[in-house]
Amino acid sequence: MDIQAMPDESDLQRLYDEHAQALFAFLLNFIRDENDTRDLLQEIFSRLAREPGLLRGARDERAFLIRLAHNAAIDLIRRRGTRQKYHEQLAEEEPCIFTAPDNTDEAAFRESLSRALARLPADQRAVVHLKLWENLTFEQIAEILAISHNTAASRYRYGVDKLREDLRPLYEEIK
Amino acid sequence: MKMDEFEKHLQRQPLRKVPGEWREEILRAAASTRPSPVEIPPSFLSTLTHQLSTILWPHPRAWAGLGCVWILIFALHFATQDGSPRMASRTPPPSPEVMVAFRNQQKLMTELIGNNEPQEMERPKSFPAQPHSERCKNTSMA
Repeated sequence: MDIQAMPDESDLQRLYDEHAQALFAFLLNFIRDENDTRDLLQEIFSRLAREPGLLRGARDERAFLIRLAHNAAIDLIRRRGTRQKYHEQLAEEEPCIFTAPDNTDEAAFRESLSRALARLPADQRAVVHLKLWENLTFEQIAEILAISHNTAASRYRYGVDKLREDLRPLYEEIK
Repeated sequence: MKMDEFEKHLQRQPLRKVPGEWREEILRAAASTRPSPVEIPPSFLSTLTHQLSTILWPHPRAWAGLGCVWILIFALHFATQDGSPRMASRTPPPSPEVMVAFRNQQKLMTELIGNNEPQEMERPKSFPAQPHSERCKNTSMA
């Protein structure tokens, strides 16, 4: 009996260990819901298991997986259009996307930053996240989000300016 | 593009870690969605090979010995085939005495069977081609 090429289980584990953290952080920041983030992560890894050749032509695994995650998140938002609006209204109650620090000032700053990020439009939030926490260039961000280089740069600038405005008092305090 | 202090401060904020228990759950669920092994129908060649190996497997030495015998037979066959034309080419031409005896024998045979030869049949006469009108004229004149 001949068996067709199967996705290697160890390869799937390696992909999870190398990229799940980045995907989790990006999705949590973008979707702002922990359960949805888990569902999307599950969806991405199930797809990788079903389609072993999915990553074959990818130059950069991380960038390719973030693109998959972004597309899956966009699909989810479209499917749950009304629910998403409800989520956006409840941004204040959403979980913090940063780890809890010992320092109370830092804790307050992180919570405020998380809320300020939630108030950004999703497009700007995605670019800000990829630039600040994935250290990607605007060219890479543009490729992942299927937008132009200039659009990526301007979305970042608008996003950071809004964050600066929102967080100025707290930032001045802890600086 | 250089980042200012504020951006660098944002960048230093550590993001939440992915919950540890998710790893097992997600990988297990992903593994369960894998396509089941697909059986490819065996080709004619593989079926033939399988059948042959089933037949030959019980007595491999006997079959190997039979194979060797066949190889030996073929080798001998080709060796003798190669030798025969060479031998024919080396045969010396018949001597003059033999040739004389052969001619005498041929003459005797000719004499013995000479009377039985069928008589030569009269060949049909051939007329030169003439026009019909010409032929009629000759007949009327006769």
